[in-house]
Amino acid sequence: MTNLLSVQDVTKVFGGVRAVDGASLLVKEGTVTALIGPNGSGKTTLFNIITGYLKADAGRVEFDGSDVTGSDPGRLYRKGLSRTFQQARIFPQLTVQENLVVAGGYGWRSLFTSRIGRADRERAASLLEEFRLSDISELLASELSYGQRKLLEFAAVLMSEPKLVLLDEPTAGVNPVLIETMERHIRERNAAGITFLIVEHDMTFVMRLCDPVIVLDAGRPIFAGEPSVVQNNALVLDAYLGS
Amino acid sequence: MSIPSVVRGGVFVAVLVTLPMLGLQHWFLNLLVFVLMYATMSSSWNLVGGFAGYPSLGHAGFFGIGAYTLALIFKDQVLATGYEPFLLLPLVGLVGALVGWPIALISMRTRADVFAIVTITFLFVVQTLAFNLHSLTGGSQGTALPIPPFSAAGFELPFYYVMVGLLVFTMGLTFATMRSKLGLSLVSIRADEDKARGVGVRVIGVKVLAFSVSVGITSMVGAVWAYYESFIYPQFAVDPLITIAMVLMTFLGGRGTLWGPVLGAVILESGQQLLTYQLGAVQLYLIAYALIFLVIILLLPRGILPTIEDRLRLRRRRRRTAAAAALPGGPPSSNVADAASMLGRGAT
Repeated sequence: MTNLLSVQDVTKVFGGVRAVDGASLLVKEGTVTALIGPNGSGKTTLFNIITGYLKADAGRVEFDGSDVTGSDPGRLYRKGLSRTFQQARIFPQLTVQENLVVAGGYGWRSLFTSRIGRADRERAASLLEEFRLSDISELLASELSYGQRKLLEFAAVLMSEPKLVLLDEPTAGVNPVLIETMERHIRERNAAGITFLIVEHDMTFVMRLCDPVIVLDAGRPIFAGEPSVVQNNALVLDAYLGS
Repeated sequence: MSIPSVVRGGVFVAVLVTLPMLGLQHWFLNLLVFVLMYATMSSSWNLVGGFAGYPSLGHAGFFGIGAYTLALIFKDQVLATGYEPFLLLPLVGLVGALVGWPIALISMRTRADVFAIVTITFLFVVQTLAFNLHSLTGGSQGTALPIPPFSAAGFELPFYYVMVGLLVFTMGLTFATMRSKLGLSLVSIRADEDKARGVGVRVIGVKVLAFSVSVGITSMVGAVWAYYESFIYPQFAVDPLITIAMVLMTFLGGRGTLWGPVLGAVILESGQQLLTYQLGAVQLYLIAYALIFLVIILLLPRGILPTIEDRLRLRRRRRRTAAAAALPGGPPSSNVADAASMLGRGAT
């Protein structure tokens, strides 16, 4: 398997805090890779660097065979690197359907075409169907529950047919039934060829779904391997529980 | 395009075109010209302030740029027909848009309140220049434009119809924007710009384009105003009150809507002019502005039209639910409820 994403010696300093400290990690194509670690270990900062929201002070990020260090989030998105946010960021003033369409990754010329064209509608419809949002496609996203927003955000980043999707805590704050739904969608999409990198605190979810698991502590990976091994690794236990 | 919006637009244009044929008095036509100017400017402000959510306070600077551009083009000229300045309006618009482009590129790196401050700074820079570049603007003594050689009986009419044209153009542009992915992109920027950036919306290009078009239109209105006034002074050509009026009218009518800014302009500008005529106190409308602003913030934070729209939507939904409940066998089991319960949530 080839490496779809490769992070090399990335460092990010905020004032005196080394949020990410010489971190290197690989995400192989076709995997569901988990990125776990205690609070403040730099997971989200690393996410923000990979997706172009933050500029790294040092290091290199490669995606799909090319150097994308410091690339704009929009360009990365169009190249096939999508992400979701911890707090389920959707566009409340837009309808569910429009939330999908706006994420289509359009070029300049498309800006002057119809707001929702026939092709957009068809593309959105199959995703809405898949995520069982068809019946509420005309509702404003502001009218959705938090769980529905999470699903919508996930569905929307699939509009650009990404190669790699970064999910930032996909199960945070949602009920157990929805966690299962989320898991099913990730599995289905993974089977269809999408690679995932997931930040998550729900360990049973991670253990069920992800392989390999990368553990981050104090801004750098301390372990990468199978989920079953992680639970017994002394370094990991130390990071979470303290020695 | 749905038929009602075409009908609405057609009726609106027809009314505007036929209004002067009713034999209106000069003061009333004059009032209408100003209402049209403010309606056009508010509509243009709405493109960037309403849709993209960037509250520019610098638009009056571009109003002044338009006014002085026209004054410079026609300096010391005598007009043959009087329509020459109108023919050059697109050029004035282009000048405004070209000046706006770099301003937008720089200022739109900031957001919300900081953006408002940066743009109002631009306004004061333009004002200072207008006062001090004597060779170009005549400084505080003002500068003259050619006298429009129109007959006294129908003096306002050419200005009136040009402004109708500009307003229709701006509203057409707004309508097209709302129906295109450009409009969708702008709303996504207003909702959550960082998120929009992350899903491939071309945020910088889209907002800079909106700003340039918006200030281009504002410059054209400034040019028409200058020609209408024949003699312009810096304190009126680059006037923060013009900016405030644009913002207030758009807020009152409803940001991000097609008709909101026009409605706001009709209410506020005619109100202001009438107040001035009735009471003779020119500055009284400023107090009224402050009051209206407070009332909007307290009672109609989203403006008149969106509030009405919401009420209608709610009522329609309630009626539909009631109708469904009245059906024999109760409401049809909808998948909405299924999806909602699956997600652990009551009926929407």
